[in-house]
Amino acid sequence: MRHLAVILAVLTLAASAAAVAAEAGAQITVALLPKKKGVAYFTSCAAGAEQAAKELGNVTLIYDGPTDGSPEKAAALIEKWTLKGVDVIAVSPNDPEVLAPAMQAAMAKGVKVITWDADGAASSRSFFVNQATGTQIGEAMVDAMAKDLGTPAGKVAIVTATLTAANQNAWIAAMKAHLASAYPKMELVAIKPCNEDQKVAFQVAQDLMKAYPDLVGIFGISSVAFPGAAEAVKQAGRSGQVLVTGLATPNAMKGYVKDGTVKSVVLWNTRDLGYLTVRVARALADGVLIPGATSFAAGSLGSKPVAGDAILLNNLLVFTKANIDQFDF
Amino acid sequence: MKLGAYRYWHETVLAALIAALMIGAAVVDPRFVSWKTQIALSSHVWELALLAVPMTAIIITAGIDLSVGSAMALSAVVLGLAYQAGANAWLAAACGIVAGALCGTFNGLAVAWLRVHPLIVTLATLAAFRGVAEGISLGRPISGFPASFTVLGLGTIAGVPIAGVIVALIATAAGLALARTPSGLSLYAIGHNPAASRFSGLPVARLTVALYALSGTCAGLAAAIYVARRNTAKADLGTGLELDVITAVVLGGTSIFGGSGRIIGTVLGVLAIHETREFVGWHWEHEELNAIVVGVLLIAAVLLNRLFTRPTR
Repeated sequence: MRHLAVILAVLTLAASAAAVAAEAGAQITVALLPKKKGVAYFTSCAAGAEQAAKELGNVTLIYDGPTDGSPEKAAALIEKWTLKGVDVIAVSPNDPEVLAPAMQAAMAKGVKVITWDADGAASSRSFFVNQATGTQIGEAMVDAMAKDLGTPAGKVAIVTATLTAANQNAWIAAMKAHLASAYPKMELVAIKPCNEDQKVAFQVAQDLMKAYPDLVGIFGISSVAFPGAAEAVKQAGRSGQVLVTGLATPNAMKGYVKDGTVKSVVLWNTRDLGYLTVRVARALADGVLIPGATSFAAGSLGSKPVAGDAILLNNLLVFTKANIDQFDF
Repeated sequence: MKLGAYRYWHETVLAALIAALMIGAAVVDPRFVSWKTQIALSSHVWELALLAVPMTAIIITAGIDLSVGSAMALSAVVLGLAYQAGANAWLAAACGIVAGALCGTFNGLAVAWLRVHPLIVTLATLAAFRGVAEGISLGRPISGFPASFTVLGLGTIAGVPIAGVIVALIATAAGLALARTPSGLSLYAIGHNPAASRFSGLPVARLTVALYALSGTCAGLAAAIYVARRNTAKADLGTGLELDVITAVVLGGTSIFGGSGRIIGTVLGVLAIHETREFVGWHWEHEELNAIVVGVLLIAAVLLNRLFTRPTR
């Protein structure tokens, strides 16, 4: 019984200490919600967010999200944080439609709501921390392929997620435009969906190599399509003859980069994305970041452009044999 | 074995556990136990509670309905499509509830007349209903319901959520029906021995169909509440909900082998899961903990049940 009394006393003290800290004014709580918790991509984003919180010193960071990627659980988390009175909620919506009412309710209660990594409805957030525009991502993949080929000429094909995926379609449009203007000798012969299934991506890439024996390159433009296509080229024994590039986390592609199937992997710096998100959250809470701003001072990242209500990370990375081992996510 | 003479040991212990949790929570963070917080968090539990009521009756008959989450998704999609086609949102909700009832009736007919084990029937429809939902909605979300409809999921009467009032009415009616009506009491007999029940003249087939149809109807109603709350009808909602529902029922003391169980136990089981989850989430901010805690809770409840009740089988 005495032990219990001691424990209760300690707990009460801890609770009152937390309450005092909150009244200090400068300290804010930022909740960072990933699409899915426990995924390498988001864990590395969280590491960057953690770093920003540490640098700032006056940000308590909560990183939590549904371990199964369930939108219902994500919405429930937003509602919980609203009740607890956190200052900023940064959401990477796994389902913008389901999350919108909870995000709007949070804003109505005075919580600052932003999106990061993926955008939601404009009415459900004030700013969007965007890793890169569709044009930048599409052009970076085409440039990587052109560089890898040496002489940018020949038949290339795209393996995409699904034919209706909005992000991928924006990138494809940018890729087509960039191919036409910068590399007229590279010919895009096919765009095939893999329905976000790695086995299908593998099959599609095999079919593409059969249909176009003189194919020189395949773009795998989702984190599922890319390794699937690379595996198909590798198993066909055509590593180096058919180059594969695209978007994926470096850990998933290390093997293919080392054996020469893949020369370049395009992605943004996920740590920086998390870092920038927390910086934006802090600035928003302080009233420093207001609508109409054109640039944003993001701590150690320097100045970042603001386009409308989107803050751009603008920092695409190309992983190659030379640098891929420095990244672990 | 004198302890077994008192019939409500399981419920008493569960209630004590919930009370202990709430007292502990009040000490750690008084905000959690405030009326305002509890009312706001309660919106997370209505679908689970609503589905747990018919599930209790089904498990009492030694049956099971694994398809409730999928039936809910199909109902929601029917609701959404009807609304998109121009129906009034309330009429659309009625269409969704009818769709749920049809799903349940299908399960009931297969169990009662084809004599297929409910586990197999509803395992099949668990996949099939969701497949139909995905097929007819093409995986697209439907949203933009009017505020006059979202009140079903978000509105309150005298500070009490409307959805909560609906669930309380249904649970009370079901509790009385199970304990006081001949049909309700015969469900226990069916659970103990279906063959004997049939030979003694109980309308086993008819009751079974009615029970599964009710389960589907509740899934339809749960879909309406969910769509009203999240303003979105989508084919992937309610995924995995059936396991939560069964967990709550078993935690509430209903025997998975049939023949025993009470609605009051299920209500406490739902409450125990809900409060534990919400508090763990509230205090530790680690979603991973939730699954662990609910698992531990279930095992603890089963052990408690062993301690306090006479083994019947």
